[in-house]
Amino acid sequence: MRYGLLLRRNLFRRRLRSLLTLGGLACAVALFATVESLNDGLEKALGGDQARRTLVVYRKNRYCPQTSHLPEYYAREISRLDGVSSVLPVKLFLNNCRTSLDMITFQGTPVETMLKQRRIELVSGDLARFEREPDAALVGRGFAARRGITVGENFRFSNVNVKVVGIFRAAESTEEEIILTHLEYLQRAGPVNRLGTVTQFDVLVDDPDRAGAVATAIDELFADSEEPTDTRPKIAFLESATRDLREILRFGRIFGLSCALVALALMGGTVVMGVQERYREFGAFRTIGYKARHIAGLVLGEAFLLAVLGAATGLGLATLLVAFGGIAVGVEGVQVAFSLTPMLFGKGLAMALICAGLAAAVPAWRAARIDVVQALRTI
Amino acid sequence: MTAGDEAAAVISLRGLCKSYEEGGRRRTILEEVDLDVAPGELVALLGRSGSGKSTLLNLVGGMDRPDRGSIVAAGRDLVRLDEAALATYRRERVGFVFQFFNLIPTLTVLENVRLKAELVGLPVAEQNERARALLAEVGLEDREGAWPDRLSGGEQQRVAIAAALVHDPEIVLADEPTGNLDLDTGRRVMELLDRLCRARGKCLLLATHSAEVMGVADRVLGIEHGRLVPREAEP
Ligand SMILES: Nc1ncnc2c1ncn2[C@@H]1O[C@H](COP(=O)(O)OP(=O)(O)OP(=O)(O)O)[C@@H](O)[C@H]1O
Ligand SMILES: [Mg+2]
Repeated sequence: MRYGLLLRRNLFRRRLRSLLTLGGLACAVALFATVESLNDGLEKALGGDQARRTLVVYRKNRYCPQTSHLPEYYAREISRLDGVSSVLPVKLFLNNCRTSLDMITFQGTPVETMLKQRRIELVSGDLARFEREPDAALVGRGFAARRGITVGENFRFSNVNVKVVGIFRAAESTEEEIILTHLEYLQRAGPVNRLGTVTQFDVLVDDPDRAGAVATAIDELFADSEEPTDTRPKIAFLESATRDLREILRFGRIFGLSCALVALALMGGTVVMGVQERYREFGAFRTIGYKARHIAGLVLGEAFLLAVLGAATGLGLATLLVAFGGIAVGVEGVQVAFSLTPMLFGKGLAMALICAGLAAAVPAWRAARIDVVQALRTI
Repeated sequence: MTAGDEAAAVISLRGLCKSYEEGGRRRTILEEVDLDVAPGELVALLGRSGSGKSTLLNLVGGMDRPDRGSIVAAGRDLVRLDEAALATYRRERVGFVFQFFNLIPTLTVLENVRLKAELVGLPVAEQNERARALLAEVGLEDREGAWPDRLSGGEQQRVAIAAALVHDPEIVLADEPTGNLDLDTGRRVMELLDRLCRARGKCLLLATHSAEVMGVADRVLGIEHGRLVPREAEP
């Protein structure tokens, strides 16, 4: 019975109130979706299967990746150990080694080994050119998308100035956030020439179950040398690097759920007020033969319509923030991207609809049960 | 009234009783009310405030239930109907006109008039045709797109009258239709209501304070101590 029309008209008639509620709901949904998307991104970062087969070798007692300097020749010695499949020396260059929303991570590696050990695939550009030109770079597609980087341009940060010759996709989500260069280029790029030293080694082991034993063997090998090492499975490294982030996120998720409660209260207020002031109107509807369930439908329908509009706006905001805000949370060179999945859109919408349902259930029930005679008496 | 009248009556009340519980005491509003209203007849209920006029209309309109007695209206025994059936009865068989107009504020004038035609499932073309014809009859054909709250009281009441007749009900109930209008406007609204109902052969049951209806109504009844008493003329 022209529900759509009645619902729309009523929302529009109280447009300021509708807009305020919609705005509040949108903010709540946006916040909820953003926090959850970071959580999803983190789970993705920690869920890569390659991370279980990879060990990361650092300088013992390093303060930050930037302060880890290991002799490049360690690579040969590590690769001779039992159970080691391949070793990739990596020189890291970061703009910031603490937690940051705007991290830039360069990784310089010997190209041939890198291509063998990392599962990357160009989505655009020219691999041969990368292999040929010493100042060429490949950019992970996550980072490229956030920064709007395209093939052919130069990317410059501090003393590093590279030619972007390709954009790549990787099996691990965290690897899509980095810029890959030639090892020697990065070694020379800093203020001090660091030829012959690297930041870390990525060690691929044959058998993930033996990763622990290999790590111990590596650290024992260099225990008495000038630069002792600290070797951990990549997954453990990712976990420890993101520990603070996960703590904050746990708090953030509570915060996100509180948003749902705020949205609930907001919706509740709007619906209750709407029902109170429409008491006589509902009486008139009942008089002309609308049934109790039609009245309940009007109240619920309006709440659900608000919820859908609010959720759409909120998810739109979250998408804008994530897609065009150009942010990812970076810690110690590991970047975690916000991951807005269709699933998350569903969750955001569900949250808004549940809020609407909870907020409107009792008012709708009461509106449906109004005493027609009494309602017509009220002026 | 003869047996033949009873059979032809559109509204037939027998032994109708209604009381309210108030502060532990029963207050009887209607007591053993009998009434028959024939098609095309205009019956006015005249009585002081609180005498039970609205209560009686609400009972006939299927919005309230009696303590005892029977209400047969438009061929239905209202006492036996459940809530859903009462809603259907109100939708299909009755037109309502109220003191405070009770138009739906989010619907335009035309949509308000059309609403009941829509509810009873008439084809859209016919809904519009009927609604526009009625709006022309009440002299508001040029206001069909207006919102109710932009209309004067008299105009709103004319819209309400059109809306009450659009689905061609057997019964029209009007509770103080002029109660919120000035004397002159009230008189014209009253004439309009009378003319439209008579032209269509509707039976009109009307509650009012004012004695102007005396000239128009076929019968005027007062409510005294819960009982209906005929009134010929106001002193
Ligand atoms: N729900 C209720 N509970 C208790 N008393 C009620 C209730 N509804 C109506 N009454 C009483 O019933 C009496 C009749 O009310 P009713 O509205 O029918 O009067 P009325 O003749 O229409 O008066 P008016 O001309 O002022 O509209 C009043 O005294 C009123 O207080
Ligand atoms: Mg009354």
